[in-house]
Amino acid sequence: MYYELLENIAQQNALRELNPYVKLMVGLGAIILALISSSFVTPLFLAGTLSITLLLIARIDARLYLHLLKAPLVFAIVSVAAIILITGGGEVFWRWQPASFLSFSVTSHSINEGLLVFCRVLGGMSALFFISLTTPMTELFIVMRQSRIPPVIIDLAMFIYRSIFLLMDQVDQIRNAQLMRLGYSSPGEAIRSFGNLCGSVFIASWDAGEDLIRAMDARCYDGRFAMLDQCCPPDGKTLCIAVTYLACSAVLLIMTSSITLV
Amino acid sequence: MCVSRIILEARDVRYRYPHGVEAVKKVSFHIRRGEKVALVGPNGAGKSTLLLMLNGMLRPDSGNILFDNTPISYDRNSLREIRRRVGFVFQNPDRQIIAPTVYQDVAFGPVNLGYTEEEIKQAVASALRYVGLEGFERRPPHQLSGGEKKRVAIAGVLAMDPDVLVFDEPTSVLDPAGSEDIMELLEELHQNGKTIIISTHDVELAYPWADRVILLRNGEILQEGIPEVAFGDPGLVRKAHLSVPILLELYLELVMRGLARQAKKPKTVLDMINIIEGIRKGSMTGKTDGCGMIRVADVDMLAHGTITEIIADLGITGVGVMGSRAKEHLQKEGIYPDYTYAVIDRSILRGMIGESILIITSGGMVGKVIERVLEFEQETGIRLPAEIIRAPCSPDRSKGDP
Repeated sequence: MYYELLENIAQQNALRELNPYVKLMVGLGAIILALISSSFVTPLFLAGTLSITLLLIARIDARLYLHLLKAPLVFAIVSVAAIILITGGGEVFWRWQPASFLSFSVTSHSINEGLLVFCRVLGGMSALFFISLTTPMTELFIVMRQSRIPPVIIDLAMFIYRSIFLLMDQVDQIRNAQLMRLGYSSPGEAIRSFGNLCGSVFIASWDAGEDLIRAMDARCYDGRFAMLDQCCPPDGKTLCIAVTYLACSAVLLIMTSSITLV
Repeated sequence: MCVSRIILEARDVRYRYPHGVEAVKKVSFHIRRGEKVALVGPNGAGKSTLLLMLNGMLRPDSGNILFDNTPISYDRNSLREIRRRVGFVFQNPDRQIIAPTVYQDVAFGPVNLGYTEEEIKQAVASALRYVGLEGFERRPPHQLSGGEKKRVAIAGVLAMDPDVLVFDEPTSVLDPAGSEDIMELLEELHQNGKTIIISTHDVELAYPWADRVILLRNGEILQEGIPEVAFGDPGLVRKAHLSVPILLELYLELVMRGLARQAKKPKTVLDMINIIEGIRKGSMTGKTDGCGMIRVADVDMLAHGTITEIIADLGITGVGVMGSRAKEHLQKEGIYPDYTYAVIDRSILRGMIGESILIITSGGMVGKVIERVLEFEQETGIRLPAEIIRAPCSPDRSKGDP
């Protein structure tokens, strides 16, 4: 199951014990650098280094990682193709005008623009996966609390996080029961089955909510959710590595700011 | 048998669900401090409803629930107090575990009771140690096995240090090994002075475990008494949609054939074997003499790696383990125990046929083992030496009895 898989990886990867702030700093820093870079080199560098870190140091299965990247990559390729065809400027390599109001062209400027966007997507996605595959949600709750986000929101987020897995289990069970009795066998049937599924899950979640209140009452609920434990303290070495990495990327960004492909 | 004070009592309790049948019909019973009571009945007998009233989750339509001889009141503060003192473990641990990590979930009760941070940490640590889940603090509950989830749920209740523990169908979602582990944990809790109430429809489980059994059907008490009595009337048991425990049935058949005369009905396989040995003594020649031996080791006295040596040196043929701490230790050593449930009885059974058994346990349980074996010697006249292994590798040969 997909949703559980991601969470499992985050819980079990080799970088789990690293301080979440360091991981967040690297991930968010990389996203910002990828976005402000005017050249494709830095985002590509970030994508490469972060992916290698994920695969070799965090020991994430390469096939799975590619599978995860597939969806955003397909989306990026489609949009980049559109950007290349629509934007203009610079030297014209190819031009097609099917109607007077519609023209497509590939120019040096559009290729550079397309490549930059593509590399930004790649860099940003790698950074995002770097955060989500190495930092479990439970650690992020600690960060949220320490960054003074109102407790109500965090408590809600924690309930939701806990309930997602239970509800997804329900969805799986009900869907299997439907499939076994030939639900979803035709388009009309699929709509009907899906409606039933939604109804059943709604009732199940309502039940679960009532049970939750009972479970909390049985343990003397007084408006307070359990406090969080501490996350691992940042150690100097990893902090140094993270800062150096971001600094190097920033230097690279400045040095390569004028490099374009064509 | 010493009679302790009544801790919980139901007086003429009735309960009807908003649009349904009357689930509990004028029921009265009491529970004494330190007792192990099983509410046994078929599905829909009103077991869960009755249990939910014991900590004020449900309020009876009429009648009273008394805790420590005072009727419980249903204002907010009294309810908090009663729920702290009567811990409730739901049937489905998924519905009881509310927090995203084990630590947070176990800390939920203490946090809401307003403990200080230090107290919370300590309560959580000791509860987790108790159920054998040290090191699970940061794990999210959805990644745990059924048995582990059940243990987290129990730890969450234990962290509030209740006097009474109520378990609704404690073993219904567990596999047989998991069930045995949980029953062993209940036994440990009981040894430490907790009053325990469970509901179940598993007669085999309730029969050897309970001090007292309350048979329920259709919201009424059908029979109440020690297990031998509660399950002793096959007609009544059938009426309750249950079955007579197999040991008891076997015994009743033996009695009908004039084979068994012993007044004490068997509760365990060991009791049954004693009865059969008794029959054999009367009709056949030969007498079993326990030429085996039972050795007990305190897990806190054992250095790493010594158990394997002890097993080899003393020619141990079977290893039993009692208590979470001992189990954890064995797991670390990579030793798979042969007996994890009803350990003393099973060890005696093996000892009777000449095997040499090592029991690993901790603290006060060491003395309990020796005591139980001596009791067995006195009851049956079968000699079965038992000794405590004191120092690692140099077993002290002194017999561990006064």
